[in-house]
Amino acid sequence: MFGEEELVKVHKTRAGMIGNIVFAAFGLLLARLWYLQVYKGEQLHQFSIQNRLRKEVVWAPRGMIHSRDDQLLVDNIPRYDAILTPQYLLEKEVTLEKLHKILMLEPGSIEKLLKKNQNQATYRPITIKKNIGFEELAQIESLNAELPGVSVQTFISREYKDKEVGAHLLGYISEISQQQLPKFRKRDAMDYRLGDFIGQFGIEEQLDKFLRGANGHEFVEVDSRGRRKRYINTDNLFKGIEDEKPNQGMNVKLTIDRDMQMAGYAALEGKVGSIIAIDIESGEVLAMVSRPAFDPSQFSRGLTPEYWRSLITNTENPLRDRNIQEHYSPGSTFKAITGISAFEEGVIDENTEVFCNGNLRFGRKVYHCWKQAGHGATSITKAIRESCNVFFQRAAMKMSIDTIAKYANMFGLGKRTGISLPREVSGLIPTEAWKQKRYGQVWQPGETLSCAIGQSYVLASTIQMAQAYGAIANGGKIYRPYVVKDIYTPKGEFIKTFTPELLSDFKLKNEKTLKYVREGLFQVVNNPKGTAFARRGKGIMMAGKTGTSQVVRATADKVYQKCEQMDYDYRHHGVFVGFAPYDKPRIAAAALVEHGCHGSSAATPVVEAVVTAYMQKYHPESYLENLEKDKDIHAQWVKTLKAAAPAEE
Amino acid sequence: MYQTLLQYLKRYDFSFLGSFFAIFLVGVLNLYSATHSQSHEGLDMLYRSQIIWWLLASVVAVVVSVVFNPKTFERVSYFAYGVTFFLLILVMVMGDVGMGAQRWLQLGPIRMQPSEFMKLGLAMALARYFARVQPEKELTFRDLLIPGIIAGVPAIMVILQPDLGTGMLLLLIFAMMIFYKRLKWRTIITLVVGALVAGVLMYNFGLREYQRKRIHTFIDPYADAKGSGYNAIQSEIAIGSGRLFGKGFKNSSQASLQYLPENHTDFVFAIFNEEHGFFGSVFLVVLYLIMFMRLIWLASSVQRFYDSVLVVGIMSIFFWHTFVNMSMVSGLMPIVGIPLPMMSYGGSAMLTYGVCIGMVTAISNSRNFFN
Repeated sequence: MFGEEELVKVHKTRAGMIGNIVFAAFGLLLARLWYLQVYKGEQLHQFSIQNRLRKEVVWAPRGMIHSRDDQLLVDNIPRYDAILTPQYLLEKEVTLEKLHKILMLEPGSIEKLLKKNQNQATYRPITIKKNIGFEELAQIESLNAELPGVSVQTFISREYKDKEVGAHLLGYISEISQQQLPKFRKRDAMDYRLGDFIGQFGIEEQLDKFLRGANGHEFVEVDSRGRRKRYINTDNLFKGIEDEKPNQGMNVKLTIDRDMQMAGYAALEGKVGSIIAIDIESGEVLAMVSRPAFDPSQFSRGLTPEYWRSLITNTENPLRDRNIQEHYSPGSTFKAITGISAFEEGVIDENTEVFCNGNLRFGRKVYHCWKQAGHGATSITKAIRESCNVFFQRAAMKMSIDTIAKYANMFGLGKRTGISLPREVSGLIPTEAWKQKRYGQVWQPGETLSCAIGQSYVLASTIQMAQAYGAIANGGKIYRPYVVKDIYTPKGEFIKTFTPELLSDFKLKNEKTLKYVREGLFQVVNNPKGTAFARRGKGIMMAGKTGTSQVVRATADKVYQKCEQMDYDYRHHGVFVGFAPYDKPRIAAAALVEHGCHGSSAATPVVEAVVTAYMQKYHPESYLENLEKDKDIHAQWVKTLKAAAPAEE
Repeated sequence: MYQTLLQYLKRYDFSFLGSFFAIFLVGVLNLYSATHSQSHEGLDMLYRSQIIWWLLASVVAVVVSVVFNPKTFERVSYFAYGVTFFLLILVMVMGDVGMGAQRWLQLGPIRMQPSEFMKLGLAMALARYFARVQPEKELTFRDLLIPGIIAGVPAIMVILQPDLGTGMLLLLIFAMMIFYKRLKWRTIITLVVGALVAGVLMYNFGLREYQRKRIHTFIDPYADAKGSGYNAIQSEIAIGSGRLFGKGFKNSSQASLQYLPENHTDFVFAIFNEEHGFFGSVFLVVLYLIMFMRLIWLASSVQRFYDSVLVVGIMSIFFWHTFVNMSMVSGLMPIVGIPLPMMSYGGSAMLTYGVCIGMVTAISNSRNFFN
């Protein structure tokens, strides 16, 4: 046996051999370095100085967006920026002076830019003027040799044909900011860099991965001043380097109709509010406009600080899509739901009459009807027609809030519709349990009375109300609203086609329920006593309900104060939700005008404009037929009114 | 008092520690130069975290060398191997995917790369095995069975991650250690010939088309210059353009133009060569050589056989990293992701080196005890 020390000694030979191996290995390595750095050093040095292979990104054009009637809504146009790479700048003063002249910039402004960016590496180009014109472009290109370091960068800019119309729906693309980088890198598992454009709102955000396409790259050889020399293909050292062509993004066809968009946008002129119209037999969104809006093209061209400031300092918040990102008290438009609940629960029937004397005492509180003198004897249809608060509150006394909530939920209220657009709000339908959880308080019976007429805790967005009224019109079918019809390749192959998605199809127990509620809604618009009669439109046979969404709870002394006399911020929102045509419903629409005071005067015309555009375009025969019918109905009402007039006096 | 301190310090091997520290200094400066112009946020501050890692590693080294004695290392050898092996299994089950491979393990706030620790775990386990089982015997085929399993299983696991580079490295460490443990020449020749024959057969019948293409790329990078060939070419241009004296500190154009990928990890040597030229690289290589030679000398001067084998193992960890990295960057080997010790950025690796240095120092000091 060996001792430990002898053992080590025995292995000394091998240790020496390992030493030799190490020496040999590094000898080989140093020989290689000698070969590269000394033997081929001059050649490779020249190469790194004079010929630089640069890998440049070739941006993929984003997909185009069309409306349902095949009109181009979003297009791509080339845009040119003048850029300067400080590293390659020679004869600074002469070059800059020339450049100032060509680009018509104030003298000294480029120096300022250079100073601002002096901390970043000098090989990184600085954009000196965005969106230069063709003339400037031509001058820079032709004077290329005299302007070392200056070049023109081509971008593909997003052009939104109708500017502000539907801006919230289409969304915008803009450069990824420093703060957004980690978030988007994680979301898409893509190595985004500053300067990359990405969809940040609406369809552009939601369908970004389809619209985006795949960027390509090309290898260009640049000289020591960063000027392009020629495209790589001959040099031996770079033999086999291949460019990759970009792939254009997918095209998208929307369910949106451009003419209806225009009509809605025009009807909202001067107002703050939104309109949405949905096809009730499929859930296709036909029109979706929110105002005030913004011009999405500005974002893709590189937002000017002034424009951005004007957007974020605007107290009306133009960046918010009021159709899905905002919810309001639905006001009297909610009465249809209360009426349906009462009918279904057997609390009322078509013959129930309630006497309205203008107010209702409940506990220690007095609930006022909007009509100070009262509506007198009131049935369900009359209550809807003339929007009588007392009728619905009396009915609500006999129901719990949870019962009303059950029916509201059936009609899709209180939860997101699931439209495939970002940041939808859910609205709110309160229940006793909800209040306990939210405030830790017991539900007060008086609150049920406020909720029954769509005030208090009840909140809904216009898209939810349109969906609910669509279900009233089609007999209980709730479709998921959607805005995208097809996604297809530039060659026209379909990638994805969206079809209607029926979320629920419920049947009400009492078949009379919808009959009488619909009748009431029809009279709202087409009966001279109806709240929306004055704005009924022609040839559309609309049924619907006006509503007033209280911004602040009216104190007793202000209940009957004229809305128009209040401060703007305290004025009520006006709401109208309806469907058309009454006898064969096809479309449901909801509009809300903030601080518009009345549903009838502010919101009804907006819905009427969009529905009229729809009927004229898609159902012209029905439109003409209804024009005739309108005359008959009108004549009939005039006759009955005349006959009834003496009796009323 | 002063005398005792001096007496105490005399036990330390300063030629080894000195070269180690010098390489680290060069590394941090080079890292700063390689990343100062990076656009990615945080990358330009990388050299600072490298210093922090190094300070941590130094603390680890001091603790290991002062608190433990070499006999403890021997006792815990299999345990250390077992723990790192367990971590490797964890990576397979719940590891993080980074750069297309499953190498990272997140345990609470700590994020680590267990394959780094495995190198040391393997060296310790083999040292203990060789020191205990027939230490005087020359190795033959039959004696390779158990050591082969100790090295082969983790190597295959790492290769499956897939991290071919680190897996091969484990096998290279194994090879150098069995060579030291007097593997018979006849066995060595049989192994080499067998490997060649198997390689040729594999190439012709076992490999798929794309795998064959990868080998072609290495042999002639210019044939497929847009794939991995692109990196190889850019790396060679960087090195070559440094010529004799280099372009100077912070003047690497290949790095600043971002032609080189990963220039803070695997390609630091290319940047160093571009900036400091052939003389610079000779200087750096000599520093590494001092370290390796000192370790080999130490392996033959200790009293205990376990210590000797372990030092050879640690030496081979450093040596193979250094050699493989430098070779691949200068085009002698295909590009596999192997960092350069003390020069490349990396926390797990730095800590492993800290433990290695601590162990070597403890072994070196214990030797002087008996003088």
